[in-house]
Amino acid sequence: MVATSPITTQTDNPLQDGRKRAMLLAALYIAQEQFGWLSEEAIQRVAERLNLTVGQVKSTASFYTMFKLQPQGKYRIQVCEGLSCYLVGGAEPIINYIAEKLGIQPGETTPDGKFTLEVVQCLAACGTAPAVKVNDELYENMTFSAIDQLLERLQQEN
Amino acid sequence: MIDKATITIDGQKIQARYGQTILQAAREHGIHIPVLCDHPALPPEGACRICLVEIERQRTLQPACTFPVSEGLVIHTHSPKVIEARKFSLELLISDHPLDCMTCEATGNCLLQDLAYEYGVTGDRYQGEKHHYPIDTSNPFIVVDRNKCILCRRCVRACAYINGVEAISVFYRGFNAYIGFGADSTMQDSPCEFCGSCVEVCPTGALWPKMAIGKGRPYQLKSVQTVCTYCGVGCQIELQVRNNRIVNVTGVENAPVNQGFTCVKGRFGNDFVHHEDRLLKPRLRKYLLEGGKREGKGRGEWVEVDWDTALDIVARKLLETRDKFGSDSVGLLTSAKCTNEENYLMNKLARQIIGTNNIDHCARLCHSSTVAGLAISFGSGAMSNSIEDVTQQAKAFFVIGSNTTEQHPVIGMKIRQAVKQRDAILIVADPRQIPLVDFATLHLQHKPGTDIALLNGLMHIILKNGWEDKAFIEERTEGFEEFKAVVEQYPPERVSEITGVPQELLLEAAQLMGQNKPMAVIWAMGITQHTTGVYNVFSLANLQMLLGNMGIPGGGVNPLRGQNNVQGACDMGGLPNVYPAYQPVTSEEAAHKFAQAWGAPMSTKIGMTVTEMIPAAKEGKIKALYIMAEDPMMSDPDTNHVRECLEACEFVVLQDIFYTETAPYADVLLPGVSFAEKTGTFTNTERRIQLVRQALQPLGEAQPDWQILCEVANRLLATSSSTSGRTIDLQAPYARWDYRHPKDIMDEINALAPSYAGVRYERLERGETFQWPVKDEHHPGTPILHVGKFARGLGKFAAVDHIPPAELPDTEYPMVLSTGRVLYHWHGGELSRRAQGLLEIYPKPLVEINPEDAQRLGLNGHRRVRVTSRRGSIEAEAWITDRVLPGMVYANFHFPEASANVLTHAALDPIAKIPEYKVCAVKVEAVE
Repeated sequence: MVATSPITTQTDNPLQDGRKRAMLLAALYIAQEQFGWLSEEAIQRVAERLNLTVGQVKSTASFYTMFKLQPQGKYRIQVCEGLSCYLVGGAEPIINYIAEKLGIQPGETTPDGKFTLEVVQCLAACGTAPAVKVNDELYENMTFSAIDQLLERLQQEN
Repeated sequence: MIDKATITIDGQKIQARYGQTILQAAREHGIHIPVLCDHPALPPEGACRICLVEIERQRTLQPACTFPVSEGLVIHTHSPKVIEARKFSLELLISDHPLDCMTCEATGNCLLQDLAYEYGVTGDRYQGEKHHYPIDTSNPFIVVDRNKCILCRRCVRACAYINGVEAISVFYRGFNAYIGFGADSTMQDSPCEFCGSCVEVCPTGALWPKMAIGKGRPYQLKSVQTVCTYCGVGCQIELQVRNNRIVNVTGVENAPVNQGFTCVKGRFGNDFVHHEDRLLKPRLRKYLLEGGKREGKGRGEWVEVDWDTALDIVARKLLETRDKFGSDSVGLLTSAKCTNEENYLMNKLARQIIGTNNIDHCARLCHSSTVAGLAISFGSGAMSNSIEDVTQQAKAFFVIGSNTTEQHPVIGMKIRQAVKQRDAILIVADPRQIPLVDFATLHLQHKPGTDIALLNGLMHIILKNGWEDKAFIEERTEGFEEFKAVVEQYPPERVSEITGVPQELLLEAAQLMGQNKPMAVIWAMGITQHTTGVYNVFSLANLQMLLGNMGIPGGGVNPLRGQNNVQGACDMGGLPNVYPAYQPVTSEEAAHKFAQAWGAPMSTKIGMTVTEMIPAAKEGKIKALYIMAEDPMMSDPDTNHVRECLEACEFVVLQDIFYTETAPYADVLLPGVSFAEKTGTFTNTERRIQLVRQALQPLGEAQPDWQILCEVANRLLATSSSTSGRTIDLQAPYARWDYRHPKDIMDEINALAPSYAGVRYERLERGETFQWPVKDEHHPGTPILHVGKFARGLGKFAAVDHIPPAELPDTEYPMVLSTGRVLYHWHGGELSRRAQGLLEIYPKPLVEINPEDAQRLGLNGHRRVRVTSRRGSIEAEAWITDRVLPGMVYANFHFPEASANVLTHAALDPIAKIPEYKVCAVKVEAVE
């Protein structure tokens, strides 16, 4: 009898297999999409799938601001404070307006878990500044009344 | 190919090697470039910016620690621009650093402090927010003060590259970044093994050994380089001593075995030396003082006496016993914890003065089957290769019956490094899911006691596929055809049935072994502690000959020896069948040699092993036992039987540092000293002889064991000549016992033990270490045995068949018990239970049991269980874990309150007389 089957390994090692480390950011994005944020459970599962240590995964996740280690609202409102948005008078007034309407500060989530307010650097919509992004949807040329309409619509959605 | 580059550093032209960084080249040439994050043992990181240098024709300053050398670089390490940048980095670091050097433990041993001093940085340039992290003192070993952390990541790298468990990471970033453990928990809740490598490399006081806190400044401490007394790996450590107390332990950076790193026991487990249980004065039973006799089983009260009284009585009783009942009525247990010199003396005491070969020690219980097996297969019973060549050059490792990361942690770390850093293949064969399995390519989880079947099965596949080394077999071995005929009887189907290992795994493992040369075989108690121990070893020798893995770097047979000096105790004749350097007692030539040297007639009759001596005490054949630093009540199988035997023995002398579990059965207690209080040599698992240096004055009235032995011997000699006992010719060249220093004992060993002929103290004191055989005083030692030719000439294939263990489960005792140790404890626990931190982290015995069995027995969570064998019963807490297979339990023998050896039985290997600790039948019940 000849053993011809390819050699499979039971355990791959993180440092041994650089590709697994390279997959980490993508895996964290996917996990965040599925869980809404990177809970301990989510981090644990990423670590298991990539055979990395939980420490390595959390270390990377905590380094990047786009990964959330706290529960996020159903709608993540990202307000751009990049240069173009700032110059057309967006940014600060818009942030303050939303903050007052929702009763939360940037980085916080409403008690009902519906909205999280975030300030971000650039949403790549300089030509149509000021820009706001809600989850993956981009809203351009924002005004106070456009914000009123947007929030009202989101409030009514389930 | 040009591999050298000429570079100029501060006007000095040096030859650097391509692949080096500027910092590495500078370091090699003794040029100082300050740095915080770089460490010679770790890969470069480029985190601290202190090593910035000016390189001509480079636009900006460059970090020397990551910049590779190339031809013609002109580098300035202390130009004004460099100094300004360095100061700037230091100012920033210190702006968020507590300036509490006057009370900081690290003062005098802090790179940041040194640099601040060197560059005149005071910390008042940048004022801003500072961190106020709570100090974490939650674990027994290491205090974590993040306020003092400079985020150099040395600890992160040490944990990943030295230890391998990767328990440390940096969390968050920028000002919020900090060092964290595991999933950002405490050290204790992380995978941390407390090896302390992070402490060793920390440049500030952020990670500090708890035991050293408040115990003194570096300049108040005396630092003594010696060898760790825990396991056989032989790590060199430095004892930091103040007022005759060990206050801290560090690694020795250029040590051949451990390069500055240790395990948890070596670094944090040495406070046993000062434990209150230390015996500080000799003790006798009162009846001895009164000249009376023992009555019944008990031995009566203890009385503390002076040395003369104790020694006189020991000498008188030994002499009486010898002269009344004959030399062979005395048994001596020498010690794998003591030095070579002391073991040599014990061997001399037995053979010269008492006139018996009844000398043995706990090697009987660990690797006697290895010694016997390899001696038959190859002609030498020792580890064939070096830790260095095995861990650096083996393409594959086959680890069978060795829980390496827990029992020989520093070798375990090196195996992990080989797997992680150079993709070495690791095949683990073990009935348990040991921690090393996490790093293994394959795990063959065979049933306890089926090693021969497993190995024959693997060799069957290797032969079927033609993966054997035909030239090696042809040129260097004998007995191949008979061996082959037996192996042919082990096709995968049959082997799978016996061992429980799936056929596919057998095929994969055989293929990996056949196609990755050199492969090193590593084993320990899982192979040896069986009634088939010697045959198991034969099988491993067969495997390595079959694959041609002998006599080459990265290959070999590598039994990992247990005790710090078990190799040396064997080398020094601490065995019933051999004189020092394995000269057989049955040989007329050897007997003549030693009779001439020691001036006394030599017995050519092989003496009793420890596993025979103790039962012989009950039978009345052994009347007196002299036990030096051994604890048979903890280490020998079937504790209840051992107790009866010791109770029956007429006279027991125990020389030890503690009142051990054996002490209640002794008549005289002679207080010896720990490794820290004496000078001598230890021989590690790879046959490396290293110097043990005295760091402390003996505590109390305790005396170095070699001195005690001399005192006893001289008394015996003095009395001997006036009675009708043996006559000893004191004019013989080595008859006398007038050693003034262990060095004098080594001189005698040089003359009588050929493999130690060149082991001179002058060489050891110069920092040389070498592996025996060391043929003369210029010989460099022998890193690899059997190169080109086996010690016995041809290697001998042995045809061995699977034999089931002596006691198999039945309806009454349906489960298999296997025994062993854990990372945080050592042997019978005599030392580790007296080390505060080790006891704190692993305070009580645990019995490992599979979840399936736990459920069947109705154990929910942690519950107490009673484990019973035909010999005894213990109660302990269950650890429900899939480390063990269903139907199997695993217990350790570290704790007297529930020692596995109450359960084990003394079924012996017929050749080596080693007991089968690894398999016996038990029943397990929940305790209500």
